[in-house]
Amino acid sequence: MSIRIYADTDILLQEGYSEYEIDTDRDLEVTFRGAGVCDAFIRVVRCGKLRIRTFAEAGAVISYLFWNSTEEVLNVDESHEVLGDAAVTVAYGECNSAPTERKTYVALRQQGASAKVASASLVNAKKTYNIKVANLAPHTYGDMENYAVVLKGGKLMIDAVGKIVNGAYKSESHQTSRALCFDEGQSSQILPELLIDENDVQASHAMSIGRMDEDQLYYMMSRGLNVQQCTSLISTGYLMPITETLQNEDLRSALRNEMERKISELCSM
Amino acid sequence: MKSLIIKDLHVSVEDKEILKGVDLTINENEVHALMGPNGNGKSTLLAAIMGHPKYTVTQGSITYDGRDVLAMPVDERSKAGIFLAMQYPQEIPGVTNSDFLRAAMNVRRETPVSLFTFIRQMEKTIKDLQMKEDLAHRFLNEGFSGGEKKRNEIVQMEMLKPSFSMLDEIDSGLDVDAMHIVADAVNNLRRETGMSLIIVSHYDRFFELIVPQFTHVLVDGRIVMEGDADLAIRVDREGYDWIYRELNIQPAAKEEASRKVTSLGVCAVNQKARSQAK
Repeated sequence: MSIRIYADTDILLQEGYSEYEIDTDRDLEVTFRGAGVCDAFIRVVRCGKLRIRTFAEAGAVISYLFWNSTEEVLNVDESHEVLGDAAVTVAYGECNSAPTERKTYVALRQQGASAKVASASLVNAKKTYNIKVANLAPHTYGDMENYAVVLKGGKLMIDAVGKIVNGAYKSESHQTSRALCFDEGQSSQILPELLIDENDVQASHAMSIGRMDEDQLYYMMSRGLNVQQCTSLISTGYLMPITETLQNEDLRSALRNEMERKISELCSM
Repeated sequence: MKSLIIKDLHVSVEDKEILKGVDLTINENEVHALMGPNGNGKSTLLAAIMGHPKYTVTQGSITYDGRDVLAMPVDERSKAGIFLAMQYPQEIPGVTNSDFLRAAMNVRRETPVSLFTFIRQMEKTIKDLQMKEDLAHRFLNEGFSGGEKKRNEIVQMEMLKPSFSMLDEIDSGLDVDAMHIVADAVNNLRRETGMSLIIVSHYDRFFELIVPQFTHVLVDGRIVMEGDADLAIRVDREGYDWIYRELNIQPAAKEEASRKVTSLGVCAVNQKARSQAK
């Protein structure tokens, strides 16, 4: 059973798995708070400007999966506050055909806080992500993983910033972005940034934008698959690993099922 | 009877004509050896039959089982029963062998193959080709050794059961044991299905394992000599020079190679003397 959200709401997450559906034509502000082990699946069906705020209390282990199934442009502004020793995962499934403009800010506020931001995108519209993870205290850990398959007509822009402030020693900031392009007439831009004001830290970024080349496509087609079937197989293989970032099995299978459905739908177009 | 019929085939790559009029007919159950020096059109012929986008057919026709092959996209050719075991199989990261093969099997069936049947058949094929047991779950050719890639081509062939297969130097990169494993798998499939074959190989050892009834020698884009299995063995033992002499022809690649060598000065003298001595 999913809980429908259609007005500004302050939600106290229950332990375990819960589902929410955002469905309104108005602007919306939603706040999630959690203290224990919580997994939330949030499906966005329809919304005006969306503002999401989350608070992870000290020691909490919380995963959010935001599945975008809007048919019109979605504009989201998110901030995630992570307190001492809390671990937060924020995952995005962006496989719809409408544009998205997303701003994500993660604040690792207190010692021991950790956060992972992960996105899987099947892009055939304009998708712009601005993700910033800030290590504001010592011994904090931030990680971003963005995987995208860019189809015809897709336009992907990822600006991923890892920031470690002065004094946040023994902290880590990592990020990986991968995009795979299929067709002419699409564009992908990924800007990885690391802003580091502390010496005693670890940081890394990995980025790749690849292209499905003629020979690979020919090889697969020579076994009887048409272009759409090849695209679908490769997209599945490329995006599915993102589901591994979710610990909770319900959440993971929700993402897997939704992605399989969308990939076969989009790739057969 | 399913026959592949090639008539007056001309093929160009980037405006350079590689095949200059090839005629070839391959009937069911037949094994044809295709030989010739490197760079004279063997792989081009196979790629043109399969439909690689880089190769442009400028003249001639290919039909299979009465159907116009050149009018079909690559995937349709595969579904019509044509298979090419490639010289350089591609690596496809993210797609497992089993997902790929299941998809490829399903496109040629009315109803999808059941998971149980598929797994059983996959396991048998892996055993036949003596591949590692985790093959099904590994990404398609990714990180495979040269020999593993070649054997994986035969795994795909055995699973897809084509009626006409082309093996493009599938034996190179295989050790003697692996060559036997591959040849056994191919021969078993032939017995089972009556599959016809074109085999490109430089070695008579492979032709002793899969015995051709016909041998064709391709030089400079044309089939210049035809014979039976003995011709393949003679070419392996003696090379191509006797053919050039007998027919008074020049191979395509050698012209370029000799041009390169003469520019080296001192060695060129040696080279020239040697070629005159022949």
